[in-house]
Amino acid sequence: MATGASPSSFRLNSVDRHGRRIDPAVLAAAESVFPRALEYGTNLLGDSAVVTNTLEEVAATVSQLIARRDPPGEPAPIRNLPGYVFRAFVRQVNRLKSKELAVLDAAIAGQTLAQRLADPSRQLEMKVLVDECLAKFDFTERDMCWRRLEGFTWDEIGPVHGLSGHAAEVRFRNAVRAVKAKLARSRKPLPRATQAAQNEESKLATEIDDGKRPT
Amino acid sequence: MTEKDRPEFRDEFSEAEFFGFAKSYLSEAFPNPQRIGCPPDSDLQRMAEHPVEARDAAASEHLTCCSPCFKRYMEIIDGLKQQSS
Repeated sequence: MATGASPSSFRLNSVDRHGRRIDPAVLAAAESVFPRALEYGTNLLGDSAVVTNTLEEVAATVSQLIARRDPPGEPAPIRNLPGYVFRAFVRQVNRLKSKELAVLDAAIAGQTLAQRLADPSRQLEMKVLVDECLAKFDFTERDMCWRRLEGFTWDEIGPVHGLSGHAAEVRFRNAVRAVKAKLARSRKPLPRATQAAQNEESKLATEIDDGKRPT
Repeated sequence: MTEKDRPEFRDEFSEAEFFGFAKSYLSEAFPNPQRIGCPPDSDLQRMAEHPVEARDAAASEHLTCCSPCFKRYMEIIDGLKQQSS
């Protein structure tokens, strides 16, 4: 976390939150790009404390990189150190942002999935679909299904059947799509008269339950 | 209404939903306490390692209607996955 302010702008800690030391030259470079980094990072991550920590971590990583590549006494191999630190920071912020989005997407998808699977009519639809798929799938498609159920990737499943991962995925999706299309074609809506009669019956039943006389 | 607009075509196949449901459904819906028609464990192991239609079709078919065998097969292929990773 940044502490105090240097004559130019801000001061960063000389040690990142993991306890890694930051080389003085890298620290100076990081402090010189701090205003730009803060603007960029806050736009994406929203929290200036997180941005500062990230910049310190990046600076510590760059320090380690320089120490590994550059024995003491040799000139620095990076010509524009502030630019290098800033680019490394931008990459790190982008990585953090995509991780955050991925976690958010997974949470939303999980929530939606749980909600859908809790719906009895959806459960019935899924049961019909799964039954129909397992009845219609050929041996290969069924085996793909078993492996996918256990979390195999398509790249792992494909070679088992002499296919690429993409070909396996396309074959499986097409098989499911064919079953869904067949189910959709066979789905017949209730005739209007029957629906009306059912509505009338349920209305009557409700009224009788409520103790009202049917009109 | 065009074919594309019909509800059944708008509802895109959700892999997570399909597999999430299928796994819990197949694990519980067919208890088969008498273990009628169950293939030996070695057949399941062989099918998991190297599936061959001519040899394993019956065992694969059986998994669709026997929860204990389905769960056992899931364990076997999970073991294979752990080994390969």
